[in-house]
This record gives sequence, C-alpha cells and structure tokens, in this order.
Amino acid sequence: MDADLHTLPLILPLGDRGLLVRFSGTLSDAANRAALAFGRRAAAARLPGVAEVAPNLVSVLLRYDPAQVEFERLAGEVRLLLSAPADDPAPSREHVVAVDFDGEDVDEVAKLIGSTREDFIAAHCGAPLRVLATGFAPGFVYLGFHDARLNVPRRAAVRPQVPPGTVLFAAGQTAITSTPIPTGWHVIGHTGFRNFDPAASLPTHLAAGDRVRFEVAP
Amino acid sequence: MTSIRITKAGPLTTLQDAGRPGYLALGLSASGPMDRSAFERAGLWLGGAGATGIEFTTGIAFEVEAGPLAAAADGGAFALRVNGKPAAWPARVVLKTGDAVEIRPGAWGNWGYLRFGREIDVEAVLGSRSTNSIAGLGQVLSAGDRIAFGAEAPRQRAPHPRPAERVEAPIRVVWGLHAESFDHQTRQRFVDESFRVSARMDRMGMRLDDRGGVFHGQRVLSLVSDAIVPGDIQILGDGTPIVLMRDHQPTGGYPRIATVVSADIDRLAQLRPGTDLRFAPVTLKHALGLKP
Repeated sequence: MDADLHTLPLILPLGDRGLLVRFSGTLSDAANRAALAFGRRAAAARLPGVAEVAPNLVSVLLRYDPAQVEFERLAGEVRLLLSAPADDPAPSREHVVAVDFDGEDVDEVAKLIGSTREDFIAAHCGAPLRVLATGFAPGFVYLGFHDARLNVPRRAAVRPQVPPGTVLFAAGQTAITSTPIPTGWHVIGHTGFRNFDPAASLPTHLAAGDRVRFEVAP
Repeated sequence: MTSIRITKAGPLTTLQDAGRPGYLALGLSASGPMDRSAFERAGLWLGGAGATGIEFTTGIAFEVEAGPLAAAADGGAFALRVNGKPAAWPARVVLKTGDAVEIRPGAWGNWGYLRFGREIDVEAVLGSRSTNSIAGLGQVLSAGDRIAFGAEAPRQRAPHPRPAERVEAPIRVVWGLHAESFDHQTRQRFVDESFRVSARMDRMGMRLDDRGGVFHGQRVLSLVSDAIVPGDIQILGDGTPIVLMRDHQPTGGYPRIATVVSADIDRLAQLRPGTDLRFAPVTLKHALGLKP
C-alpha cells in the first residue's frame, strides 16, 4: 500500500444528501484500487437510506436520503464496512480497443517523452491498462497507469470540443470520449469504440476495474 | 390523439420529469427540473398530472391541435394569456381544440413549468423522459414541434399547494469538499461579500460575477477529479465562481468551496441575471431541517 493510505479514509459530507469516502487527496494506483473495492462493498451492503453508490478516481460517493438516515449514522455504517476484512479481488473483464493513432498531438507527445511516434505507440499499447473510473461526461473513462516515463502534463490550452471516440492522453493516463467534450488533454487518436449507448440495456461497456488492451487499428 | 403544437419557444425549453438518478457511475447526472418545487406545484394544481412536463425559460406559446387537455403552469411569476386574454399565475386551465396559450416573462423567475392531465408520449431513456443537455438525451423543444399525449394521469387526492412567494434571503450553503483549501480570509469574504448572477446560466450551472474580488488571484489548485452534486460552488482557474445545477458534470477537478443546501437550490435557480445574492453557511444538521 502507498504511504498515503496508512491513514483512514476521510468521511466527508458532500452537500446535505451526499457522503464522500475519500481514500487520498492525490491519485495513485493504491488509492484508486481502495476506492473501487470499497465501492463494490458499499453497493453490496445495501446500506439503509442509500440511493446510489458511485465510485470515482479516489473516492466513493454515497447519495442518501436524509429522511431515512442521518449523516452521522451513515458515517458509522461506513466505518464498520471499512474495518471489515478485505473481500475477494474484483472480477475483471478484459476488452480490446483498436485505435487510429492519428491525433493532432501524437507527434508532440512522442517528442515530450523523447521518443519516436512509432515507439510511443508501441509503448502505449504495450501493457493493458485498468479502467480507473467513469466520470466527467457520459461513458468517459480514465485508464491507467502507464509507465512513469510516459508521463506528460496536460496541454496549456483547452480544445473547445473533440468528438466521441477521441483517445486522449495526459498525466500517465489514457481516456476515451463518448460524447463531444472540451478537453485539455493531448489528442493522440480516434477509435470506433463507443462506451455510451443510452438505448442499450447496459449503456456502458467498460466498468471501473476492467482491463483494456489497446491495439493499432488495422 | 390529444396533441399540442409549439409555436414559440425560448432557448432552453425541454421536457423534464422527476429526473434520472442512479447513473452517476455511467457519468450521467440526474437532470430533472431546475425548480423542483415549482414543477411539483404545477402537478398539484392539476390534482393528477402526467409525470413529464415542459420546462421553459423566456416563455413559450402553443396551440391545442386536439383537445380537451387539462394543463397547469407554475414557477416564478410569468404572464399567461389564453386566446389573448390575460389569466392568473400560477394557472390551471382546461384547454380545448384550437386554444392558443402564450406565456411571457413576468415579475420574477427564470424557469416555468407546464404540466398536463395526460402523459406525454415520448420514449423514456434510462427510465426517464428528462432532457439532459450535456449528455444529449431527450430533446430541446422549438417552434413547430408537436407534442402528443397518451394516457390520462391518475387522479390524486392532494390539497392545492401554496403559491410560491419571492424570498429575498441569503442562499444557505454547507461548506464544500475543498473548503479547507481556501484560507480563512477567503472563506470569510465568501460569506461577507455579495455575488451577482451573470447572464451565463443554463441547466448545467450559473456563473456568478465576483464583484468583491473574493477569488481574484486565487491560485489554481491541482485537484484530483471528484464527485459533484447539484449546488456545488466551484471556483474556476480564473477565479469565476459557478454554481453547478441539475445537468452538472458528474465529476470535476476545480475546487469547491461550498454546496447550496437542497432546500435553496430551487430559489437560487429562479434568480435572474443581475440579481445580487449572498451566501450564508449553515450546519449539516440545520440544512436538513429546511424546507424549500
């Protein structure tokens, strides 16, 4: 476990109908795994008055009805859950996503990490990534973590809109858009894969904790 | 089949029902009416309304293609005319084929609601007919659109609501997820200074003019993206405060100093651009006792 997880997670009110269990103030593999594990446990526990359990990058939001459960009582239930022994590891599905690495920033990213375009693409697709969270926009997924040498900061300027299926890269992560969004991440490519279909019975394909292997589109 | 045709519509005219909660893990916020209590009141005036209604901003006009159709309207204070004749607001009317309804801005409020005695005949997406403007779910209504109605709504035995009054009091907040990231002086000035509602407001959020410069020169904090709830007040990198509303993005990385209490979100939504407001922090316990 990372050093920052030695302390207990913070249990914080988020407005008057939300309780946030935050495992760290910074994003790390350990904090994300702890959040996802607690999210699964909290969803399975069917806590009284809790309407929704939503995992995020380093935290879990419990949306509750204050007419049914008070914050302090829910916080007590959460502490009990946190102190219970760890459960089975997450069930993890693996997906393959084919990408055209034709993004306008791919050469710049290769340059930033001191590599060629070909070597960057090979390194990007070299190891599977984990879905860290769905958030920010419908079906938008954060995937991590790349090897530390692939770490580049976000762009200084924000692109006002990129289309669904844009493959983004920054901060040791890759992200895939499913709706048009503005972004400050580097655009490295595009994919035909769409992670959000509101008409489907399961509107997203990827779930937090799943593994994704990227390959170069034929 | 009972139907109406929209003849005029403001820019943010949408269908809304109670919302689409439960999909944050897919990256979807719950949407639903900007002023939930006005939406509910409009239904109560009818004594049995379809679950879906129309939310409008600067006004709306429509003609009844095939009646009869019971309708009620509420939210803020708009000016209503039926077949050219002024009518009271909030309103309950039974419309017949050929009737023309026109609603224009009145004394106060941004958001108005039309509820009907029948269900609106559109497909639900993920269990709701609410339009979500960022996710592209549902549709934005405009002139020429036809709305068809299905089954009559079940009658409810409920007393008529009390009409809303315009309340000019501070907007109550609980301290936010990142309140500790702001120094004591900034938090104090957040409470002491007034903010002005800007014209940049929609279903996602309301930008405020920070006239006192409370967040001027605020250093941009690097935060890990975290859960957002309606009413969260986030401070952008340039110091602009935004109150996130019903179509908020589900997560975000800007620091949030406070969250508007549930009981005051409807009242905030109705404040027009140019209105000055203040924030008053309350404890969580106090927030839960408040009524909209």
